[in-house]
Parts: sequence; structure tokens; C-alpha cells
Amino acid sequence: MAEPNSQTQTTAMIGIGEYRVGTFPMMTIGLGSCIGLTLYDPLKKTGAMVHIMLPDSGGRTERPGKYADTAIPLLLKELDALGCSKRSLVAKIAGGACMFEYFGTNLNIGERNTDKVRIGLKEQGIKLSSEDVGGKVGRTVTFLPGSGGKVSVRRADGVTTEL
Amino acid sequence: MKLSAVQADAIQELGNIGAAHAATTLSQMLSSTVSMSVPAIKAVDLAELGNHIGDESAAMVVFELQGEIQHGGYIIFYITRESAIRLTNTMLGMTDTDRDFNEMDQSALLEVGNIMVSAFLDATAELLGFIMLPSPPALSIDMAHAAMESLIAQLGEEVDEVLLFSTELICEEHKIDSDIIMLPEVSTLKRITDLLEEMMKAT
Repeated sequence: MAEPNSQTQTTAMIGIGEYRVGTFPMMTIGLGSCIGLTLYDPLKKTGAMVHIMLPDSGGRTERPGKYADTAIPLLLKELDALGCSKRSLVAKIAGGACMFEYFGTNLNIGERNTDKVRIGLKEQGIKLSSEDVGGKVGRTVTFLPGSGGKVSVRRADGVTTEL
Repeated sequence: MKLSAVQADAIQELGNIGAAHAATTLSQMLSSTVSMSVPAIKAVDLAELGNHIGDESAAMVVFELQGEIQHGGYIIFYITRESAIRLTNTMLGMTDTDRDFNEMDQSALLEVGNIMVSAFLDATAELLGFIMLPSPPALSIDMAHAAMESLIAQLGEEVDEVLLFSTELICEEHKIDSDIIMLPEVSTLKRITDLLEEMMKAT
């Protein structure tokens, strides 16, 4: 799963709990309460993307990309292996919505995911440069490390914004 | 949880009975013929969910499974955006398909979902002798994947793989294509397969 591969320039699709690291285009579709996190090193033009589903791993070691608490250290380790310095990394996040008000109110996983990712980035001293989170809306995110780390967010109605 | 071939067959038959009742109610509401597919059971790894349910715009009327179980998972009436407009147009006597969803559409969708899912669960309760009741419905008209992953994230029992159990209901006259999808908690699925196996032994 999710081996870094800098050879291909086709867009890497990142499923729930998956991550990729490299210079190629990356995309994750249909974020609801999940978070799409991108980390980008402008010096190396290299980045990482992960589709986080839940705030806490509760000690689970399988699928580290699935949880906010394990995903961030994982991406940092992978980026470090490619020579990216933690100090130059820029983070952007999208997602963390509450798609169903009726069910979501007591759990609000979207909000907990967002909080946990923000805290995790802060603990690592990584700058969160922009975000598009919350609300009751699905988001599809594309990340282009080769084009200055551009992150675009598309909503169901087709409206696309850049982070 | 892995299903044996026998369990999968039994669940498929259960879906057949439930969906047939749901199809009848839809047919009555539309005064038109509704056909149904053979129910499909797919074990889907979370990372692969996007290959089955994309980011296309769809309406999903979602019910939590309650009754003899408290949080049994979810049952969903899924309909693509285009089909949803055609469905409410047919019910409300309108013809404009190039329009936004309004409150009338939303209440019509909630009502259709409610009637169909109730028919589905009534039929399965009668067969199983195990009562699953739908919670009040919640509606999402947005990216299908976004709605589905949010439901999976709030399942009580954490999973890396989900069993999606879906039956397609089609009304050719009005070009309406919809699905009833069940996303049960593992414990609910176990309960259902146990009951089905007991029934098969008894006959």
C-alpha cells in the first residue's frame, strides 16, 4: 500500500487511510468528515498527502494514515527520508464536514478530526497556511507538488477554490 | 467478518424479499413499473471505497437501524441527482429537470425514502422475526463518497472493510435509477446471518 513513487506523473488516487509522498499529482475524492492533509516543501518541490478518517488510533499500528495522531508523524518521517526539512514544510487541510446533522451532532467526528490535525501540526511546529473545513459539504482535493504545491478544492456543485 | 457462500446466499435472499417490497411501494408512488437487480454483497476495503462510490452528486436518505438493536448500522436510499429530480418531478407533476433542489423536493425524497425503507425492514422483520426499525431520516444531497465515509466513520465498531449490501431499483419509464444500501454493524450482520442459518436448519 501507498509506496512512494516519484517515477509516474499520473495522478495518484488516495483512498481512505492511504497516503503518498512525492513530486507527482495527487488526489483524494469525496471528503466528508475525513480530512485531506497536504504537506509541501517548496525547496524540494516535494509533498505528501493523506486521507485521515478518525482522530485517534487508540494504539492501533495498522493503517497509520487513517488516524490524525499517527498520520502526521508518518508523513514527516517519509518526507524526511526524501530530504525535506521539517522547518520548510507548509500544511493545508480540507474536509472535516458534518454531512448529517441529525446523526452527526453527538459525535461530530469532522470537528474532532480537524481539531486533532491542527493540534498535531502545532506540536510538530508546522505552519498551517490555509484550510477549508467544516460545514455540511463534501470536498474533492487535488495537490500538485510539481506546480508550487498548488491545492484545489472542488465541491459537489462544481465550485473550485484554491487553498 | 467474512461471509461463507451459504451466508451470502441467505443474505441475498433476505435482500431480495426486502427490496421487492420496497420496489412495490415505489411502483405505487410512481404509478409505473419498477424492476430490481439481484442484490449484490460487496466486501469493500476502506481504501477502495472511492472505486465503488465516487464523488458524483447524489441524494442519500439515511436511517439508523434501531429496534431490537440500538445502533445497528445504517440503511440508505441512494439516488443520483438527475434521477432524484426526475423522481420528485414525477411525484409533484413538474417537468423542469434543470433546477436546484427546493424544500418540496427534499420532503418528497425524505418521504419516498421513509416509505421504501420501512417496507424493506417490515419484510425482513417478518422473515427473521427480528425487528429493525428505521430512525428518523437524515438527508444529504452532495458527493456520495463524502456522505458514505462519514457514516462509516461513525460506526460503533471500527472497521477496515465494510460489507455493502445493495439492490438497484429502476423505473425505466421515468429513467429513475436508485439503490437501497445496507451498511450494518458487524454485530448486526452476525445476528442476521445467525437467524438465517437457524431458519435454514429448521426447514
